[in-house]
Amino acid sequence: MLRQPLSRALALSSPARVAPLAARRYADAVPAQPEKVEVFIDDQPVHVLPGTTVLQAAAQVGVEIPRFCYHERLAVAGNCRMCLVEVEKSPKPVAACAMPVMKGMRVKTNSDLTRKAREGVMEFLLVNHPLDCPICDQGGECDLQDQSMAFGSDRSRFTDIHFSGKRAVEDKDVGPLIKTIMTRCIHCTRCIRFASEVAGVDDFGTTGRGTEMQVGTYVEKMFLSELSGNIIDLCPVGALTSKPYSFAARPWETRRIDSVDVLDPLGSNIVVATRTNEVLRILPRTNEEINEEWLSDKSRFACDGLKRQRLVTPMLKDSRGNLAPVEWEDAVVAAARALRDCPPDKLLAVAGGLADAEALVALKDLLNRLGSEHVCTEHYFPTQGAGTDLRSSYLLNTKIANVEDADFVLLIGTNTRFEAPLLNARIRKAFIHKETDVALVGPKVDLTYEYTHVGDSASIVKDFASGTSSHEVMKRLQQAKRPVVILGADQLKSEEGPALLAYTQELAHKLQENLQDKEWKVLNVLQRTASQVAALDIGYQPGVGQALAAGPKVVYLLGADSGVVTRESLPEDVTIIYQGHHGDVGASIADIVLPGAAYTEKRATYVNAEGRAQQTLVAVSPPGKAREDWKIIRALSEVLGAGLPYDTLDEVRDRLSQVSPALVAYGDVQPNNYFAQARALAQSLQKPVSGKLDVQLKQLEDFFMTDAISRASPTMAKCVQAVLKQKNSPY
Amino acid sequence: MSLGKYLALDKLANLFNILKQNGGIRGTLYKLYRQEEAKDGVLVGEDKFGNKYYENPRYFYGRSRWVEYNEKFHLNYDASQVTSEWYGWLHYKTDLPPHQDPSRPKYKWMIDGNENLSGTTGQYTPYSTTRPKVEAWMPKKAE
Amino acid sequence: MLAIKTLGAAVPSTALSVIKKGAFAPIVDQVRQTHLPAPKPNEKRLYSPFQDASNMAEYAVARLDDLLNWGRKGSMWPMTFGLACCAVEMMHFAAPRYDMDRYGVVFRASPRQSDVMIVAGTLTNKMAPALRKVYDQMPDPRWVISMGSCANGGGYYHYSYSVVRGCDRIVPVDIYVPGCPPTAEALLYGVLQLQKKVKRMKTIQIWYRK
Repeated sequence: MLRQPLSRALALSSPARVAPLAARRYADAVPAQPEKVEVFIDDQPVHVLPGTTVLQAAAQVGVEIPRFCYHERLAVAGNCRMCLVEVEKSPKPVAACAMPVMKGMRVKTNSDLTRKAREGVMEFLLVNHPLDCPICDQGGECDLQDQSMAFGSDRSRFTDIHFSGKRAVEDKDVGPLIKTIMTRCIHCTRCIRFASEVAGVDDFGTTGRGTEMQVGTYVEKMFLSELSGNIIDLCPVGALTSKPYSFAARPWETRRIDSVDVLDPLGSNIVVATRTNEVLRILPRTNEEINEEWLSDKSRFACDGLKRQRLVTPMLKDSRGNLAPVEWEDAVVAAARALRDCPPDKLLAVAGGLADAEALVALKDLLNRLGSEHVCTEHYFPTQGAGTDLRSSYLLNTKIANVEDADFVLLIGTNTRFEAPLLNARIRKAFIHKETDVALVGPKVDLTYEYTHVGDSASIVKDFASGTSSHEVMKRLQQAKRPVVILGADQLKSEEGPALLAYTQELAHKLQENLQDKEWKVLNVLQRTASQVAALDIGYQPGVGQALAAGPKVVYLLGADSGVVTRESLPEDVTIIYQGHHGDVGASIADIVLPGAAYTEKRATYVNAEGRAQQTLVAVSPPGKAREDWKIIRALSEVLGAGLPYDTLDEVRDRLSQVSPALVAYGDVQPNNYFAQARALAQSLQKPVSGKLDVQLKQLEDFFMTDAISRASPTMAKCVQAVLKQKNSPY
Repeated sequence: MSLGKYLALDKLANLFNILKQNGGIRGTLYKLYRQEEAKDGVLVGEDKFGNKYYENPRYFYGRSRWVEYNEKFHLNYDASQVTSEWYGWLHYKTDLPPHQDPSRPKYKWMIDGNENLSGTTGQYTPYSTTRPKVEAWMPKKAE
Repeated sequence: MLAIKTLGAAVPSTALSVIKKGAFAPIVDQVRQTHLPAPKPNEKRLYSPFQDASNMAEYAVARLDDLLNWGRKGSMWPMTFGLACCAVEMMHFAAPRYDMDRYGVVFRASPRQSDVMIVAGTLTNKMAPALRKVYDQMPDPRWVISMGSCANGGGYYHYSYSVVRGCDRIVPVDIYVPGCPPTAEALLYGVLQLQKKVKRMKTIQIWYRK
């Protein structure tokens, strides 16, 4: 059964509509492979599973049937009628997207009847579609435009303009991200289906019927979702367009560069659209293993933060204590002098959440050459027990795509919806389509799907681990064939962090031992930032607490903006060197500022929460005098007389592969399987715990501004405002 | 037609006149070296740079008014060294040279002209009116 | 650089190359390198722009440069690139009234033997590769005069989808002649400005300094 709202479930329970959903092949959805049936698409034979739709069968032989409402990742609606095809022995054309294949079916996708049907449908769609392509933002990437070129009639019979005119619909206000021009809507209902199936927002729907039909939110309401931007991509016409990008550029003017998002730990694949050295927008790039074809709103819309609050020139504190712009030589020399005059044990480097692996390894090598071992990350991870030595202790071992196959998900102290929105979308997908159940230990938050709330006390995890819990979730966990335990890395900051990790490892290990599927991995730790995994791989010490207590004289902040390093926590005479791309928390406390490049401006390696190395590419050049981060560190090392042994990016990557081959195995996840060892080492840490688990991001307004880039973004600020305003509205 | 003209003696007279006005053979050769032309004419006036403006209607229209640049410019003379006051006269926009023209308007906003300084450190550099694509971070000033 | 020296740290050249990569050298330095000091009002202007020789050898190469530049500026052969209406003014420049030949300027319809390219008119996207190819075929030293608003910055067609917004996006331009179209006189003035620019080229002096 699908866990849809009742009306939707009823509509979907008709056999014709359920069939295509069942046809999606999940690993265990089709236990025994049923016999394939042979159908003929334009006289080409193709063997497909029963339940496949005509449209999917046609796609298998490379015949593309035009469609508006059909989308691979959404339920079938069958309401646009564009996919009508002629089927032999059928009295009238059939909708290919909703028609399951039958044995020996002969489909004609290019017959006169089919063409005429398409032309007719197109004519009807265009009756009420305004001819405002020249001022429409979708122009150039519009399905309706393309398909009316390909399949539409070459002349118009439309004369009604003199009498009743075209339909006009009032625009809706659904928030600061999505611009609606509802007159252009062709009622494909993709946005509605996305909202209810993927985003978990049931506020979208249609009202009225016939010409009066309207897509909307019933009452004027913001689209309260962290995935709302995806409906812009889904909309086949220009009814839903991007507000920040409106009237900015045409798609053929932009250059598109494949890259990787760094604003959440998942490393979603993105395409950066640029023009004249300016990032205009960010679109998702399909990667089935990470983000499918979705993208979270922060990743998509925070790109205007890349143009504000930037560090464009090196800066030094002058005699009055103000940061003043200087030349690179002066800044590098000042930084070198500070580093050289400092005793090695008083040196500290702190890496922030947006640092790339190249800069991380260069900074660590530099400090090691100066005789210091104090290189830290901002986020803490317990170092007791196995600590960060075993890679499997701090990764999302199940992998994002495999979460879909889980039959029970236990979330411990994490709000996946805002910490990793696309992981949450996967869990929701499993929940909706696969009967997966979810339980949460931690504060009660809205995850967009139902879950069993076990409580927010850390001792629950202890009870689970020891098997003494009498909660029904315990039973469900033990019965589960493919359980997944996801632990939020934020929980490990507290005093009880090591114990919590130890219990989680114990629990995961016990669950794993009982599994039939020995390849299945249970334990997951969800990091909070894009750089954390790479930093731990390279050998950074997690957390700055101890290092700060030692009273360092020189602190080198590599994009450390989360505010864990403050002037107050440091001795009076400390020198702070900040290297990064945004003027944020770090730069405002710095004595020396070295401007670095943001993720769209450098070719750099990022390792996502699964441990998958991916690289960003240069989409635009760094602004002003900003330079790629590893090059700055390299230049600094030269002035210090401790030259790092790499001059090119390839040589840095050679160094990375020496540190860990996984860091340069782009696109791959290296399997890690040291759960038992980690558990054994952590056994002594299983102390009683009593604290409460709390997560940082509870509400939607917390989600939008979490890092230097999104804090600088005006769009994200508008989102926060809009969400807060929506909170106060009566609806 | 007089005999003199018939024998082209007037041309000879012109030649002597030119030689005389330009300071003899040596002076005329120097003029030819400096400005590739040696003419005779009436000195109409002098501008603030010391350039001398001559006129001789005997030459045909378009060449009957000319400027001889100040000696200090040597070979580095340039059309922009003709002041704006004299420009109109030199280009036949008016027949009245500036010092004889009472109707020339004088406004407060008129600034003194200068020669083209491109290629020197005194050159004109326009400022950009486009907004910068990237907004830089301004550090807070300590008071 | 002084600061690095006072630091006393060893500064191998690679460090500087990393630092200097890109637009590190400030524009003021650049102007100081390529531009002459502004002339003083009452000073006599000598022929040569190179008057700051400190020893005999420098004096000698400066004179050699003067000679070389004199030869170059006295016979600048433009490669014609007449693209639009500006080309008509360019023809006037060649005709007897303005008579470019008296400056040693002779049109040469082949890039292989020409020194300067006059981009006269609207440079369209379609023409841009051809322009670049012709420019690439010219022997060094070569100069470019951008003639008219369209070649300078797109001009009237700046917002057209098919026009290059300034030929300086395709080739490096030495002299911009404003006007729509510029008169033949204006182009002549531009050529004279280019001669001035050629006059201060430091070919041999830079070789000697190395």
